[in-house]
Amino acid sequence: MTDFARQVESLRPQLLRFARTQLRNEAWAEDAVSDTLLAALEKPQGFAGQSQLKTWLVGILKHKVVDQLRRHSREATVLVDDDGEDIDDLLFKPDGHFRHIPQDWGDPVAAFGQRQFFEVLEACVEHLPPAQGRVFMMREWLELDTDEICKELSISSTNLWVMLHRARLRLRECLQMNWFAAKAA
Amino acid sequence: MWPRRTCREVTRLVLQNEDRHLAWHERVAVRLHMRICDACPRFRTQVRFMREAMGNWRRYSEGEDDSLK
Repeated sequence: MTDFARQVESLRPQLLRFARTQLRNEAWAEDAVSDTLLAALEKPQGFAGQSQLKTWLVGILKHKVVDQLRRHSREATVLVDDDGEDIDDLLFKPDGHFRHIPQDWGDPVAAFGQRQFFEVLEACVEHLPPAQGRVFMMREWLELDTDEICKELSISSTNLWVMLHRARLRLRECLQMNWFAAKAA
Repeated sequence: MWPRRTCREVTRLVLQNEDRHLAWHERVAVRLHMRICDACPRFRTQVRFMREAMGNWRRYSEGEDDSLK
């Protein structure tokens, strides 16, 4: 094995972790990462050496993740919103007012300097129902715009808006409970 | 006269603002509501916080930022 191959291989666990968070399916994540490693090893000249190897590989992985999502988007369960709970009803009174006034989260910069904060954030994203987690990560991590997401997954924009809305409300709830409330306690 | 929006409606717009450009009348409705509401400005700050958090996470996970403690 060449040095290059060894270096690429050593980043496999990290790539797999991103792929899992995004795809929410072990087999697809494995496929996306295998495709990434193959592409990297077949075209090592694509790595200019100016960026970090990891950054380059993550860039390839993003394309492979979209390929997987596209390939599986016709499967019935992939994008059915699996949220039995109406999170809006938990948040708002019937007259449309907040049940509880949202807490002041304080200085964001303080949180962003801490690895622990990102561990909580990652855990919260992983706890989203799978369909919500997938579209949320397409938006936030793959940085696709909503038209692209609808096109890749062949879903209606109404469907996408509902899922993104719920995903963000859930994420907010999870951060509140597991970071801000936990810190105040 | 502008129809009064509820917090529930305004939070929906605040969240959609993350993903699309709001129409001018939606922006006006949000601004008007924010003036008279204590809860929604907090909510909006939290949404901005989450946007920044995701951006930081993305950069951190992509290996561009190794400065974390």
